[in-house]
Amino acid sequence: MATDPRAISRRGAAAWVALPFAAALVTLLARFAEANATTAGFAYLLLVLGLATWGGWAVGAAASVVAMACFNFFFLPPFGTLTIQDPANWAALVTFLIASTVASRLVATAQRRAEEAQSRQREVEILYDLCFSLFAASQRPGVLGEAAARTLRAIGAESGGLYLAGQEAPASTFGPELPPIDRDLRQRALETQEIVEADGAVLLPLHVGGMTNGVLVARGPSAPRAVLESAGRLLALAIERERLLGEAAHLEAVRESDTLKTSLLRAVSHDLRTPLTAMRLEIESLEGRLAGQPEALASLGGLSLEQGRLSRRIDNLLSLARLEGGVARPHPEPVPPAALFRSARESLSLILADRAVEIRVAPHCPDVWADPSLALETLVNLLENAARAAPASQPLELAAGPDPEAHDKVRLEVLDRGPGLPPGVKRMLQGTRDLRRTEDDAAGDSAAGGLGLRIARGLADANGGVLTLLDRPGGGTIARLILPAAPEPPDPEEGA
Amino acid sequence: MSRATPLVLVVDDDPSIRQTLSRELEAAGYETISAGDGVEGKAKFEESRPDLVITDLAMPRADGMAVITAVRRIDRTPVIVLSVRGEEEDKVRALDRGADDYITKPFSLRELLARVRTQIRRAEAGPVAEVLRFPGLEIDRARRTVVRDGQDVRLTPTELAILELLAGHAGRPVTLRQIIAKVWKGAPATTVDTVRVHVGSLRRKLEPDAANPRYIGTEPWVGYRFLAELVE
Repeated sequence: MATDPRAISRRGAAAWVALPFAAALVTLLARFAEANATTAGFAYLLLVLGLATWGGWAVGAAASVVAMACFNFFFLPPFGTLTIQDPANWAALVTFLIASTVASRLVATAQRRAEEAQSRQREVEILYDLCFSLFAASQRPGVLGEAAARTLRAIGAESGGLYLAGQEAPASTFGPELPPIDRDLRQRALETQEIVEADGAVLLPLHVGGMTNGVLVARGPSAPRAVLESAGRLLALAIERERLLGEAAHLEAVRESDTLKTSLLRAVSHDLRTPLTAMRLEIESLEGRLAGQPEALASLGGLSLEQGRLSRRIDNLLSLARLEGGVARPHPEPVPPAALFRSARESLSLILADRAVEIRVAPHCPDVWADPSLALETLVNLLENAARAAPASQPLELAAGPDPEAHDKVRLEVLDRGPGLPPGVKRMLQGTRDLRRTEDDAAGDSAAGGLGLRIARGLADANGGVLTLLDRPGGGTIARLILPAAPEPPDPEEGA
Repeated sequence: MSRATPLVLVVDDDPSIRQTLSRELEAAGYETISAGDGVEGKAKFEESRPDLVITDLAMPRADGMAVITAVRRIDRTPVIVLSVRGEEEDKVRALDRGADDYITKPFSLRELLARVRTQIRRAEAGPVAEVLRFPGLEIDRARRTVVRDGQDVRLTPTELAILELLAGHAGRPVTLRQIIAKVWKGAPATTVDTVRVHVGSLRRKLEPDAANPRYIGTEPWVGYRFLAELVE
């Protein structure tokens, strides 16, 4: 290869060896042709230029001196001596020496530049080929080993291997065998981001965008260092691309899975609610037709209550499934506590039909910043639990006000005069956040609607709120839901 | 309305809901026709031109949205949409596309009949009166005054415009987008937060008891609904 320094030095040695033979040949030919001094001078000049082109400037300079000596000895009188009789010949000899030296120097420089240009062209070709094979020829993910092998081939390595950052074993190997590479050497290449040479192997750090994502070990690469560095960067880019392709494929899979979950939940939601709606309509229709039959109406009332409960549980479970499946995020907006309380009472109109519910909203209570559906669902669950726990003769209370412990929170409370908190519920609220039922909590479930409570807590969490249950002084329970306060609205009259 | 008995078109893919609704609407004094999907619904609407349409949103073939579009292409016949929880965005789209009200499954028959009555009354009524009277509240649109429980309520022009819009649609939901379009004439810088700020201020001036709002109800996801009924 023209760019190989070893080839250049071999060629220089050959030119040195050829120098005396070439000088002798030119002399013999000139003598044989009985050339005059001028012709001989030009012949020697050609000799110098030829040797300078072949072996470089040093050979050219030496050839100038040898040619000058031969020229003087054989062609300038007195012949056969190295002396010069005619002073004019001194001028000719010096002119010859200068011309041959300068010419040989120019020729050698031109030759060196041509070789450098060839070398650069070759480097560019190698890198272009590598670039093409890494990025254009293959768009398939999962081809890291192939990319490493292409890189090693391009830099003329006999064998090698790719070590990804953070992995002890090579991700792929190339060639007949890969001698063990010291871990510290690889670490050094990774940390310094510079090429490390050891035991006939070259360790190329693969860095891109300030990150080193691995080391390529190459045994006996023929490419120059500049090519090695560029090849390392190209391979690093290929690895980065591989990683991004992998991530894109994963994201696409997640997106498809979310779409599937969304449409599944919609279908389940529709399929569950449609028969519930039909049931509710039939119950109400029957109520009209059974007027005057108190026993039948009482049974129907029970059925209606259970249908309502089933509807709410399905709402709860679907809401939780949406949130936990990540297919729906809460959409918070400012919600007036009074509006929440009103909607909660309407949702439980059957259960609360014969019950007194007292509502208290502090005069300057801010709106809550919550997803209205989730906040309502949480509140409905708490109110339903309270209605079930407390005797019908005792009023239920709904209270809202600024949280005295944090000015940017609102405290919503459902208060009852029931028997207080069963131990199972206390354990559940103090324990794991996992909402799944455990045997230990079974007592709590049956005692105070544990499922509803778990769901209420899950929904409160999703709303950025905190749900706590407290024993109420004087008997009963306080279910306290603390939610973020909506940002205080500016006075619109200022801007109007 | 030309008919003595209003005709209601019920569009739902579930036969039992269709049958029960038809039976109960007839018991309440309406005539009914029904359709099992959007395509049939559109055809029945064009054929019979009912006085009210009740349509499910999720249906095979053409859905409820297609029914609303078909109705609005012809006239202002009131449309009530049956939606389920989890389809809030569809519900808002349906309202913005021209539906007049929605009700969430599983709904109460009484509630649906009340909504039907409101819509039929609205369709029968002429243009919105100059003076809107509600229990304890009087809005004079010509004189631009609001009197609550005998006392003048001082409102900014924006608050008054919002109040007039909501009260003019009493009993029916008004979406945030509709408020922006009507009150701010769709000014691009107007956001839902701007609307909420003005509604919040309006509420503070209008509602005598913050714990029991009498006039302006919040419709989660959607916007607002004027709660009081017009006094004849």
